This record gives sequence, structure tokens and C-alpha cells, in this order.
Amino acid sequence: MSIAPCSAAGRDWLSRQFFGPLVCMAAFFLSGCATYSVGIATVEQQTSNRDLDGALKSLDELKLTGADQMLYYLNKGTLLHFQGDYSASNQQFEAAKSLMERLSAVSLKEQTGSVVVNDTVKAYEGFPYEQLLIYAYEELNYLQAGNVDEAAVEARQFDIKQRLVAGDNPSATYLSGAFVRYLNGMTYEEVGERDSARIDFSKAVDGYEEQSSLTGFGVPASLKADLDRMENPQAMKRVTTARKSSGVEVQSPDLSNNGEVVFILNDGLGPTFAENIIHVANPDPQHGAAIMSIAVPRFVQRPVPVASFEISGGSGTATSELVEDVNAIARKSLDDRLPAITARAVARMMVKNAIARKAKNQNGDSGTGLIISIVTDVGAIVTERADTRSWSLLPGNILMARLVLPPGTHDLKVTYYDHSGNVLATREFDAVKVTAGRRVFMSDYYLWPARPHRK
Amino acid sequence: MATKKNVWMMAATVVAALMLAACSTEVKRVGVEEVIDISGAWNDTDSRLVSEEMIRDSLSAGWIDRYSLSLKKRPVVIIGSIRNLSQEHINTNTFVNDLERAFVNSGRVDVVASKSERGDIREERSDMDLNATEATRKAMGKETGADYMLMGSINTIIDAQDSEQVRFYQVDLTLVSLADNSKVWIGQKKLKKEIKNAKFR
Repeated sequence: MSIAPCSAAGRDWLSRQFFGPLVCMAAFFLSGCATYSVGIATVEQQTSNRDLDGALKSLDELKLTGADQMLYYLNKGTLLHFQGDYSASNQQFEAAKSLMERLSAVSLKEQTGSVVVNDTVKAYEGFPYEQLLIYAYEELNYLQAGNVDEAAVEARQFDIKQRLVAGDNPSATYLSGAFVRYLNGMTYEEVGERDSARIDFSKAVDGYEEQSSLTGFGVPASLKADLDRMENPQAMKRVTTARKSSGVEVQSPDLSNNGEVVFILNDGLGPTFAENIIHVANPDPQHGAAIMSIAVPRFVQRPVPVASFEISGGSGTATSELVEDVNAIARKSLDDRLPAITARAVARMMVKNAIARKAKNQNGDSGTGLIISIVTDVGAIVTERADTRSWSLLPGNILMARLVLPPGTHDLKVTYYDHSGNVLATREFDAVKVTAGRRVFMSDYYLWPARPHRK
Repeated sequence: MATKKNVWMMAATVVAALMLAACSTEVKRVGVEEVIDISGAWNDTDSRLVSEEMIRDSLSAGWIDRYSLSLKKRPVVIIGSIRNLSQEHINTNTFVNDLERAFVNSGRVDVVASKSERGDIREERSDMDLNATEATRKAMGKETGADYMLMGSINTIIDAQDSEQVRFYQVDLTLVSLADNSKVWIGQKKLKKEIKNAKFR
């Protein structure tokens, strides 16, 4: 079929070529963004009210497929973890890892789409810090299910993944996965691989030290005690003491005669991103406006309700330590990505301007030309959206407490305190079996009920 | 005009057919020995290669004959733990079951139920005490004790950079005498794979 560009039919065809798809894409992507942000808010609200069945149902109803498939796996895996369905949770995280591997290959179609439409066209593969945390949750699922050998498999997989992530981000020392290394060390100890445990405890210490300027906290005292116990064989006979940043002394567990409860709390909701419209000078001002508006993601910190918690059972009590500041790492990750995101957004606006210019030139000052001009400008604006996707159900912080208890069955009480020292909630865990020389892993989450502080 | 319309109709039909074909699930039966590597992870071919090597080696090694000649009876083996020390979630039951089957079917080695299997059997025997007739009831305390325990591990070394990986698997199986802890047979199978993931999709 031949086209006569100056004919009315030709103009109609051009209109369809440029503007139809642009407007359709705009409508599609805008509706997609709205659906995810609104839908995930419902999931979060139900999660905070501990209505996990409802949250799972709402997540399913979101129908996160295609470019958002990863978000489905990650959030569903987290909800099932909260629910204590460890096997089903790991199915989701395994699917996420498999998808992550596939998405590590570059899609030319998506790259082009991100330059022509916006970054949400690209399949979500997760920030590197999110990718590392998948291993932690899967490992924790295995540990809580009592399957330490499979947990150790996750620890070994993490080692490879973290090396690849570090290789891709050589200056991002905060991507050491310090918390996951800490967890790995305990896992290796559980399966009797003392050398691997020592190495991961040591790497965890290095990781915490490297990220301390970012997170504001150093090496957890209990980790220091672990490493001391590993590096000094004679320390096996004695009980080493380390000092927590809060000044509280902790003792490395005398695990040969006692057992240990390791309690992990997912504290609040972690990183979320909002859209930020910024104005930049048009590098090609002869074509298009001198100032361009581009959309980039902006970090939004959500409240982290629990400042610390206390776990008690029998005559023993242990207080929590901060082991992962997800918010701080997420903020830094976004900051590091922002220059590339901004550069892509500028390139995108230039492409959109070029498309609009071409369309206007081909349609002149006629009535049709005016309509097309308006449509292209509107299309360029409405398709300009920031990629605000994230693993929404990640916590803001992760806290951990380790309680040494004699072998037997114990009823445990966990009390959560806010930043003013007020009790937020108390949870009871009955008949927890503790075995000499072994660790029992437990976890919980706490979110603000019904999100009272959000607007 | 009508011809043009027909062309469009045909094109639409072809596109629709292609789309439907892409959407439907396709199942193709293949031989169990056919090598199909998809992700590069441990798969049925690796398990089969381990089985074949271990069966061949364990039945041809001299431990069975030495035992039979000196004690005039068949050795009894129990399956112990096969530790997965690799970076993958590997089901070790596939090749262990193959080896167990080969032992039993050879008629030269007896195998007794493992720790995980005998719980059900003991429960059933206990149930018989209450519910089975005297003539058919099986008494407690008459199990056959094993002479050797099969133990083992899977270890991996993975070297990865960018989209390339080299995976090395080493499967070690050992028969340990329950009488004196001596090792009477050690089987080993090594596998190595080079995996190159696509840089573009």
C-alpha cells in the first residue's frame, strides 16, 4: 500500500501511526500504575490488620502479570511467609529467582519502550538489595520449617548472587548483604559447616562496618560474639561478652548445653516511591520547549513503628538489635540509580518531542494539525511516568533478638516497644521446643494498624 | 476491493491461528534417556549419570564378594543420609532409589528400610498386635540389622561471571561398616557444565 503524505488520507494514517498508539499506551500505563498503587495499598492495609487471607486475595485480584510479574511473586512470597506457609512461600520466591535470572538478559524491546514511553514498560526485576533479600526470606522459610540443609543451599546460592551483584555495582559497598551473611553464618553453624559459618560471620561484620555510615548502626553485638567464638576455639569453653550499641552486654550462647531462639521481626513497611516531576533544560531547545518536565521516582519513607522488642521465656530475656535498615539501603540504591533514570527520561522527552514535531510538520496549521498538536503534547505528558514499583511488603527495618534457653518446651512472650518506650503489642508463642546445641528460628511482623499516620 | 478484503481476512486468520498456537499448552513425550538441558541446573540426566556410575561401580567392587565369602551370607545395607552440600535444591532420592533397586534386584545385597521408612512399618506392626490374628501377626524385635550404611554428599563448585557459569558437581557415596566404621566402598561421580545465559531476550 502506498501513502501520499500530503493527502487527507495520509494525514489520517499518520495520526493513527503516532497518536493512536501513544494515547492508547498512555491510557494503558496510567491505568496500570493506578491499579497497582491503589491495589497494593489495600494489600498493605489488610496485612497491617493481620488479615493475610484477605491480603492474598487482594493481591491475586491485582493480576500482576507481564512486566509486573516479579512484584506478584515477591509480595505473595512475603505474605505466605507472614502466614507461616513456608513451603508455598518458597515456591513464590523460587519463581522470583527464576524470573530474575531470565530478566538479567537485556530486552531490546523493553529498552526501546523505556526510551519512547516510560520505565514502567520494562519488566520489574527488583533492585539489587531486593534481589539479595529474596535469599534471606527463602532461607528463613527453610529454617523456620526446620530444614537446615535446604537453608544452607540458599546460603550458598546467595554467595554466588552477591558476588555477581557486587561485580555489577563495584562502588556500592552497601550491597554486601550483611544481614543475609549474618543469617547464613547461623545456618552454616546449624549444619555443622563451621568454616563457612566463620567466613560468613566475618563477611557480615565487614558488610555492617562498610554500610554503617549509611545506616547509622554498626556491627550487631551478637554477631561480634559469634565471630569471636568462631575465631577463638578456646572461646567455645567460655562465654564471651560483647557490648551492644545501646550499652547492653550480650553473651555468646553456650549452645553445647542450651538451645537458642532466634527471633526476627519485620518492622513496618519499607521503601515506597512516589513520582517526582522535575524540570530540566531541553538539550535541543530548537525543537520543543526550552524546559522539559520529566518524571523520576522519589523515595518516600514510611513509619517504622517498633523501636525495639523484648523476648522472654522461663527466666531468660533478650532484647532486639537492628540487623537491617532496608529504608537506608533503598534510599541509597535509588540515589545511585537516579542519574541514569534522569538521563533516560531526558532522552525520552527528546524522542517524544521529535515525534510530535514530525507530526506537526506533516499536518501544518490546519484544524487537524492543531488537534494532532494537542494530542501529541498531551500524549507526551501523560505517558511520562516514573517507575515507582518496589517490593511493597518489605519491612522498613529488620530487628533480631537471640534468647538462650535450656532444652525443653517454653512459652515465649514478645513485647514490641515504640520509639517512646510505649508497648505497642505483645505476642505469645506457646510450646516452643528448644533442643541443646540447636537454634529455633521464629519471625513475626508488625505494621501500624490501619496506617493512622499516612495521608 | 474484494480481493484486498480477502487478503486482510486471510492475514487475520493466520495471525489468530499463530496466537492460539502460542497460547496452547504443548506436551511431547520423550524418552527418559533423552538429554534435555533447559536452565543448566541439576536435572534428570545428571541423576541418571550418577545412578549408572554408582550402580556399576558398587556392584563390581569387591566388597560384596569379600563379605559373602567370609561370612557365607549376603551383606545387608541401610540407606543413611546423603547430604546436599551444593548450591542447588537437589532431590537425592532419585539416584539413591536407583542404587537401592540395583542392590535388591542383583540378588547379592539385601537392603533394609531406612530410618525414615521404618517408622511407618513399626507403627503397622504395633497396630497388628491389637488387630491382626495370632497366625498372621508379626512380632516386634525381629528386624534385620544392617551391616553397612550408605552415606554420601553432593558438593558443587560454581564459578560465575556476568552471564557465564561453570558448575562442577561431585557426588560421593560411601558404604560404612556399622560394626567397626571401616569404609568398604567409595563411589564417586563428577559432572561439569558450562552455562552461557543469553545476553538478550
